[in-house]
Amino acid sequence: MKLLTKIIFFLYREYKLNLSGVQDILTNIIFFFVSIFIFIFSIGPDKETISLIGVGILWTLLLLSSTLSLRKFYQDDFENGNLLIIHLNGFSYGFIAILKTLSHFIFVQIPFLLSIPIACILLNISNEKLIYVFISFTIGSLILSCLGSISSSMNLMNQRNYLLGSVIVMIFSVPIIIFSVGIINLEENFNSLTNILFGILLIVFAINPWASGLCLKLSLENS
Amino acid sequence: MKFLVNPSKFNEIADYIFKPILILSIVLFALGLLFALYLSPDDYQQGSTVRIMYVHVPSAWLSLLTYAIMTLYSIAALAFRIPFGFIFNTAVAPIGAVFTLICIISGSLWGKPMWGTWWVWDARLTSVAILFVIYLIIIFMNFSFENRVVREKVVAIFILVGSVNLPIVKFSVDWWNTLHQPATISKLSKPSIDPSMMTPLIIMTFAFIMVGIAIAILRIKTEIISRKSYLS
Repeated sequence: MKLLTKIIFFLYREYKLNLSGVQDILTNIIFFFVSIFIFIFSIGPDKETISLIGVGILWTLLLLSSTLSLRKFYQDDFENGNLLIIHLNGFSYGFIAILKTLSHFIFVQIPFLLSIPIACILLNISNEKLIYVFISFTIGSLILSCLGSISSSMNLMNQRNYLLGSVIVMIFSVPIIIFSVGIINLEENFNSLTNILFGILLIVFAINPWASGLCLKLSLENS
Repeated sequence: MKFLVNPSKFNEIADYIFKPILILSIVLFALGLLFALYLSPDDYQQGSTVRIMYVHVPSAWLSLLTYAIMTLYSIAALAFRIPFGFIFNTAVAPIGAVFTLICIISGSLWGKPMWGTWWVWDARLTSVAILFVIYLIIIFMNFSFENRVVREKVVAIFILVGSVNLPIVKFSVDWWNTLHQPATISKLSKPSIDPSMMTPLIIMTFAFIMVGIAIAILRIKTEIISRKSYLS
């Protein structure tokens, strides 16, 4: 019961923090839409072409814009010492990683999820495919949150090369892109591809607390 | 076998074996190139381009082998607190990257006359390209951390996470229907390659291994010296 109260307070704190910095999240979404515009301008407004490659564009831009804000995943809490205080309150490093991943999913990825229908209208993706986009993005964005947790905890002490974290996430998200776009485009293979994507989610979710917890511990001990 | 985990023992052994390995690598390279370029026959379909294989296949094997050894050393270093693993990872990553680059370049040089294109988005080629990017990230991470303790452990964790790619590279030709041909030489069945082409391939593989070991010895010794000067 005590643990549950602590978790609720942690999420409430995250909510407060994200509410005060809500313009960051909105900027992410604006980046997403502006890059859709840029894509359309560069291909030309031909409806057939756009609906052919629309799903790929949608997923690529979702990936790019959700890796934009990775720098802030642990960095603020790490620099003002909140991470250490949370740890002293009885959360292990691995559990902090899980909670942070969950809060990143709720407060950064859910706004993207809500803005997907508008993007689908812009990219001429039919309404029947919308449900597949939703399912693939819900699973895929959880995987992206886990990968983001791993890469940003690795780069906590990295003061020179800020882009490395995004590159790490993008390298490991190649299978996610393949299977998610496969779910939307090949509807007859829906079950098998969803199972594979879910399997990747479980693997990454199991690796995440171990890897990011170890990196957080290292950075806090040596800072 | 203590020299594989102990820096000072490694220095002793390395002083003994460095010159023989260097000589052996030169001899093997000369012999292998002689076999590969003059003594082995042309392929009946590919003509003379089959000789690219004698560089392509050993470098591909060694790029995978280097990463596998780095993974083993990362496990040893993180789990059993053997600092030699960190030294090994820092020293050997560029060697693996160069092997992967040789593999990619020679493969695309072969692909242009045979497949008619420099590059196709086939599972084997893409996964090897990702392996190359992972090597590059490891090298960049080695440069971009101020704190040494954090750097080496974070790089070891990244190597462990990145080793997911290894089975994908190995089995990509079996799992997907690729343009790249499946493995010709495997342990379980008789190799489907003619002995006249098998001989130069084996010699070139050993030559590549010897060159890799020679460069690795030099780089590991430099790394050990730089750590000593860092500590003192």
